[in-house]
Amino acid sequence: MKGLFIISGLGILAMLAEIFKFKKILYPLVLVGILAAYAMTFVDWNPPTDHLSRLDELTASFSNMIRFDQVALAFSGVILVTAFFWFILASHYFENETNITDHFALVLFALVGALMLTSFSNMTTLFLGVEILSIPMYVLAASRKKDIASNEAGFKYLIMGSFASGFLLFGIALVYGATGTFDLGGISHYISNSHGDVPAFFYAGVIMMLIALCFKVSAAPFHFWAPDVYEGSPTVITALMSTVVKTAAFAALMRLFNVGFHHIGDVWGQIMAVVIGLSLVISNITAASQQSVKRMLAYSSISHAAFMLMGVLANKNGFDSISSILYYSLAYSVGSIASFTVLYNVSKDNNGHIEAFNGLSKRNPFLAVCMVVALLSLAGIPVTAGFFAKYFIFTTLIGTPYKWLLGVAVVTSAIGAYYYFKVLIAMYFKPAISTEPVKVEMSHTVLLIITTLFTLAIGIVPGYIIGIFK
Amino acid sequence: MNATNTPMDYLPIVMMFLVAFGFVATTMFLTHKLGPKRKTKIKLESFECGIHSEGNARLPFSVKYFLVAILFVLFDVEVIFMYPWAVNFKDLGLPGIIEVFSFIILLLVGFYYLLAKKALRWED
Amino acid sequence: MLGYTITQWLFGILSFLAIMFALMVVFTRNPINSVLYLVLTFFCIAGHYLLLNAQFLAVVHIVVYAGAIMVLFLFVIMLMNLNQDTEPQKTVISKVVAAIAGGLLLFVMVGALRGSEQLQIKQYGHSDIGLVKNLGNVLFHDFLFPFEIASVLLLAAMVGAIMIGKKEIK
Repeated sequence: MKGLFIISGLGILAMLAEIFKFKKILYPLVLVGILAAYAMTFVDWNPPTDHLSRLDELTASFSNMIRFDQVALAFSGVILVTAFFWFILASHYFENETNITDHFALVLFALVGALMLTSFSNMTTLFLGVEILSIPMYVLAASRKKDIASNEAGFKYLIMGSFASGFLLFGIALVYGATGTFDLGGISHYISNSHGDVPAFFYAGVIMMLIALCFKVSAAPFHFWAPDVYEGSPTVITALMSTVVKTAAFAALMRLFNVGFHHIGDVWGQIMAVVIGLSLVISNITAASQQSVKRMLAYSSISHAAFMLMGVLANKNGFDSISSILYYSLAYSVGSIASFTVLYNVSKDNNGHIEAFNGLSKRNPFLAVCMVVALLSLAGIPVTAGFFAKYFIFTTLIGTPYKWLLGVAVVTSAIGAYYYFKVLIAMYFKPAISTEPVKVEMSHTVLLIITTLFTLAIGIVPGYIIGIFK
Repeated sequence: MNATNTPMDYLPIVMMFLVAFGFVATTMFLTHKLGPKRKTKIKLESFECGIHSEGNARLPFSVKYFLVAILFVLFDVEVIFMYPWAVNFKDLGLPGIIEVFSFIILLLVGFYYLLAKKALRWED
Repeated sequence: MLGYTITQWLFGILSFLAIMFALMVVFTRNPINSVLYLVLTFFCIAGHYLLLNAQFLAVVHIVVYAGAIMVLFLFVIMLMNLNQDTEPQKTVISKVVAAIAGGLLLFVMVGALRGSEQLQIKQYGHSDIGLVKNLGNVLFHDFLFPFEIASVLLLAAMVGAIMIGKKEIK
């Protein structure tokens, strides 16, 4: 809760930074603010139960509109850490832009939306969170006004995103019509009390909300916007989309379906299983034929969405599957940030063609090694975090009726390994276009060292994150 | 203390609408019937201030109009939130004032931002 | 009158008009006419809100949607320079796919809502919740957090509009 206020305040400060001429200190201020918000997740972790002051009581939940329980705090933590890494990645990006402070403000407002999505406990906060997250992203996707691809990305994202929001609203309306409440706990209570005697339009509402949120996490067959938007947006914004936005949308989907609609898991479970199967097959097969690394990462993010959805699907009892989703989102976000940092440094012209990676091991061995670790983690090769992420998700799925998905997942992961290796082969075995070494900013070097070590570290000791809720 | 209402309470408003529309419709109909009509080709031509019009009326115009319009909508939505507060002003008391003022102050920051960014200035 | 109350008659007439105008939005060729029909549709829906005793929603719907947002729509259409019927012709296959998708959605909605008239009418809250006074009470007590955070949404939209729409000052 306190973190949410800190980020909102930072966003408003960022708006005013240019006017009151403290643009220079804005960047360190934002970094410190995000760390402070992150620290607040630890402060709130064990809430004092004995003496709550009245103010605390008021801000703790706001009539149960928003609830920062431990799951919410854990996902907020992932989002804030990723955002911190992202700001390091973006440090030099906006220097040639005229309105840096506006970019900062929009990203911070998007973060507010992301934090709301991790912690909502009412449909109104869910919808507001989705909108607060999405509207800045539409603008940021189109932030290169002179670039036609960026314009297209923003426009497509806006149109498709509004459509998904429409579905979400329609779904909320139908669910409200049946249950008479916006409250997640109230809806869950209604379902368990009605013993299957639920009107049919309630299920229609649930499915519409599923569609809307599958759109937001870009799972097939609602993924058509993702490759174009990821490719057209500025690389740094793509990195933000595939990490922070994705994790937030995921946290929302998990919260809605595992808390609100938990008791009718069989109804949405089958649909979700089909969505997962489609996402795995479509994304991995299409990604294999891509020539642009950026587009390839977009398709890979669709397949990662499918893996995280498996965790939601498997979540029948307790925290096991939530902690594996948490672990997955952390491993995926950090790996993505690392690979986008390398991509940004290698391919300055924003299209991310794979030829730019040719012979990278000669031009800058450090970047190549970092990219290898990041891609191995995304592909799920042992010792890296990505392997354990997939492993934990698989183990949660074993006890459920959806075991057939495991077969699909293993086969498509093998196909997935092919396109990750395509980049590795380009870096190590293809002749370089030029012998000129690739220069890397100091801050990016530090970021890559941190993310690479982080990927290896949580791969070696995954227990810290898996056991977080115990 | 809860206000109550039924759909039938809107009947006066409906009547007012009917009268307004009826008046406009009747006068338009009557003037058309009563006035003399001499139609010639020149009289039916469209013109502005006596100058012959040229080209198409549907020319794309500046995006600045749109910016002003969208900012208008944003503040319009802000003002909408004040009506429920105004009606409940006494019941809500001091907490209500604090709640609404924090909302308004946030948007005033936005307004100040617009002014400082010269978003409402027509000339660049 | 024919065994229906006045409210039912009003509901029937408003629904007929709303659906007719909504169809006209889709079927007219000229985009400006479409927008004007959309305005009429919004008026009919505002009438429905009144029948549901939601006066605040009805007024907001007319002031914000029919008033302000439709003006934005008109602006966008005029910005885009749609002079002749420049709309690209869609292929047959896309029309067929769109018809199937839309038809399926209609099918699901009709199927889901069919039979719901036999459901017991459950009274949640009270029927006067849509009045400005009662709505204000709920908005400033239970829904305080969404209300305050809506300002962040408006600010984000403001910054976004400036960033996209304003010429950059060097």
